[in-house]
Amino acid sequence: MRHSTLVKSENDNRFHLLSEMPLNCWCRIQRLEGPEADRERLIDLGFTPGEEIVVTQSSPLGDPLVVRVRDALLALRKREASWIWVETA
Amino acid sequence: MSAPAQELDTNVRELTTCLVGMPNSGKTTLMNAITGGNFRTANYAGVTVSLLRGRSKSEFGSAFNVVDLPGVHSSVSPSPEEELACTVIEGRHSRVQPDAFILVADATQLERHLKFAGYVARQGRPLVVALTMVDLLGRTRLSVDVQKLAAGLGVPVVPVDGRTGKGVQELMAVLHRTCEHPISDSALSRLPDEPVSSFKAVRELLDRTGAMRREARTSHTDAVTAKIDSVVLHRFTGFPIFLLVLVSLFAAIFWAATPFVDAVDAGFSMAADLVQQVLPESLISRFIAEGLIAGVGSVAVFFPQIMILFFLMTLLEDSGYLARGAALVDRPLSFLGLHGRSFVPMLSGFACAIPAVFAARAIPARRERLLTIWILPLMSCSARLPVYALLLTALLPAAAWTQGLALAAIYISSLLVGSIVAGLASRIILRHRNPSLLAMELPVYRAPRWVPILRMTWARGSAYLRRAGVPIVVVSIVLWLLSSFAFSPQTIITPAEMENSLAAQLGQAMAPLLQPMGVDWRVGVGLISAFAAREVFVSSMAIVFHIEGDDEETQQAGLLEQMRTATFPGSAQLIFTPSSIFGLIVFFFFSLQCFSTVAVIRRETNSWRLALTQLLFYTGLGYTLAVISVQALRALGIA
Repeated sequence: MRHSTLVKSENDNRFHLLSEMPLNCWCRIQRLEGPEADRERLIDLGFTPGEEIVVTQSSPLGDPLVVRVRDALLALRKREASWIWVETA
Repeated sequence: MSAPAQELDTNVRELTTCLVGMPNSGKTTLMNAITGGNFRTANYAGVTVSLLRGRSKSEFGSAFNVVDLPGVHSSVSPSPEEELACTVIEGRHSRVQPDAFILVADATQLERHLKFAGYVARQGRPLVVALTMVDLLGRTRLSVDVQKLAAGLGVPVVPVDGRTGKGVQELMAVLHRTCEHPISDSALSRLPDEPVSSFKAVRELLDRTGAMRREARTSHTDAVTAKIDSVVLHRFTGFPIFLLVLVSLFAAIFWAATPFVDAVDAGFSMAADLVQQVLPESLISRFIAEGLIAGVGSVAVFFPQIMILFFLMTLLEDSGYLARGAALVDRPLSFLGLHGRSFVPMLSGFACAIPAVFAARAIPARRERLLTIWILPLMSCSARLPVYALLLTALLPAAAWTQGLALAAIYISSLLVGSIVAGLASRIILRHRNPSLLAMELPVYRAPRWVPILRMTWARGSAYLRRAGVPIVVVSIVLWLLSSFAFSPQTIITPAEMENSLAAQLGQAMAPLLQPMGVDWRVGVGLISAFAAREVFVSSMAIVFHIEGDDEETQQAGLLEQMRTATFPGSAQLIFTPSSIFGLIVFFFFSLQCFSTVAVIRRETNSWRLALTQLLFYTGLGYTLAVISVQALRALGIA
C-alpha cells in the first residue's frame, strides 16, 4: 500500500486505483500490484493489462466492490481492488 | 482393496468421462441430466467440492462412468478443491483417468471459460465442449454461433440445457464419437499457456470467426441481475433484506418444523411403547425400546429441521442470492479472520453443527475454513433448546417473556462469543497477516427449479443421516448400556435403580469435579449422557430423578417439581439454586457436548488432533467458566 502511493505521485491524474474509481465508469487496466500469488490469480481470472473493466456496485459497507470483467461479475475486496492500477479513457 | 482388481478383470473397459469447468458453469446440473441421478446442483461458486460419481443413463448409448470434478476458477494458487480437479485434468490423479472430458462452458462468459478450456485441451485428452446458459444470451445482449465456434476451436461444441435435458442426447452421441476418433490437436489446444496471451488469443479467435457478437456494451452483465443487485446490495435496503432472509430462515427452522418434530417424537415413543408391550419383558425388549429406538429417534427428531434448512439453503444457492449474502457480510467476517462465505455454516450452526461443518466446504481457503469450523460448536444449536427451556423455566419461573428474552440473549451471545473467539484465534494463533483472495463470482439470478432443488435437498439430507446418524445412534446405545448395567451384585438394572448403574458410578466418580459447579452426581449423569446429543440431558435427568410419564410435557413438569425440592444426598442443601442453574447454562453454552460433531469434524478436517483439541478446549472452557460463575455468584451472596 505504501509503495502504491509513492508510485501514484509520479504518475499524472489519468491513473487511478480501481478501489477509487466511481461506479459505472469504464477504465482500462494498466498494471497489477500486490502479493505475487494473488496478482497472478487475478490475472488468470481475467484482470489482464489492457482489459476494460467497470465497478458496477459497491456493497452496503463499501467493501467488497462488484467488478465486471470479461462478462463476469466478481466481488473484490477493496484491498484487492487497490492492487489494480487503471487508466480512464 | 478389490476395486483395482475388478477394473482389470473387465474385458470391455467402461469409458470414463469427467465434467470439468469453472464454478457456476452448470456442471452439476448437467451431471444430473446425464446420469438421471440425485446429485447436488447449485448456483453458488464452488459447491461441488468432492468428486461426484455416476453412470450415464442407458438411453445415451453404452454407459460412461461420469465424474463431476470441482469447479476451477484458476489453476494459479488453487484451493484444495481446485487442486484436486487440476490433478485429474493434468492426468496426475492415481484413480481417476478419464478417456475424454466434457468441458462445460458458460455461453455468457465465453472468454473466461474458453481460456480454461484451452488449459484442459493442452493436457492432450479429447474433449467435447458443452455450451450452457445459452437461454441467458438474450438477457446479456450477446449472441453465439455454435457452428462457427466449433469450427474455430477445432473441437465439437454442443449447446445443452441441463435443467430441461435439451441437447444432452446429442452431447453423449458426440462424446462417443470423440472417444472412438480422438482429436488431440486443435486450435483450442494450441492456445498459449500464459494467461495474458491466452486471453488475447481467445478474443482474436472469437472476433475472427464471428463466433460471438456483442450487441451493445453495457456496464451490467444482464439487466435483471443488475436490477436485483441494485436492491439487495443497496446501501439502505441491502442489510434489511439480508436480515429478513435470515429471520425467515430461523422462523422456518424453529416454528415451521415444530409440528413435524412433534410428530416424529410421538412416533418414536409410540414405537418404543409398542415394542415393550408386544415383546416379553426382557433385556432384549428394553434394548430395542430404550436403546435402539430411542437412539434412532434422537437422530430422526432433528431430521425435519435439517431438511427445511437444506431446502432453504439450496433455494438461496440456486437463485444466486447466497453469494450476495456472502459479499454483504464479508467485511465484518474478514475482520474476524473468517470469509464472507463463513456466514452459511455459521447460520446452519444454529440448527445443527453437523450440516454446518459440511457447509464450510464452500470456503476456499483452508485457514478460513478451519477457523470457521473451530467456532461452529459455539453457535447455539437446536439440541440446546430443550435444555435451555428446562433450565430457564427453573431459573425464571415467573413470566414467560423473561425466559424468551433470556433465550434471545443466549442466541445473540453465542454469535458474539463465536466472533470474539474467531477474532482472537486469527490474531493470536493464525496471525492475521495475509487474508486469502476474495475475488468471488456473483452468478446471474435465475428462477429456481423445484424438482432439482427437492432432489438435492433429499440427497443432502440423506447424506446427513448417513454421516451423522451412525455416530449418534452408536453413542446413544453405549450410553444406554452404561445406564442399564452395573457391576455386581445385580448386573442388569431397571431404570428405577439407576443409582447403581455404570453411568451413576461414573457420575459419582466425577463428584469432586461436579461439586465446584454446585451440582451432584445425578446432574453428572445427565451431563455425560448429553454427549450423545445435548437434548438427551432432559430425558436422562428425568430418569435419574425418577420422573414417570412418557410425553414431554408431563415429564418436564414433573422434573421441574423435583428440581425445586432436590437436595444433596444426606443434607438439606438444595441442588438447583439460581447460581447452579446459571452455571449449567454457562456449561451448555460453551462445551462441545456432542460426539457426533467431533466425529464429523474429524472426517472433514482429516485431523483427530483438531477435533480432540476442540472437544477439550470447549468442554474445558465450559467447565471453567461454569465453576467461575457459580463461585462468583455465591461470593456475591446469590445462592
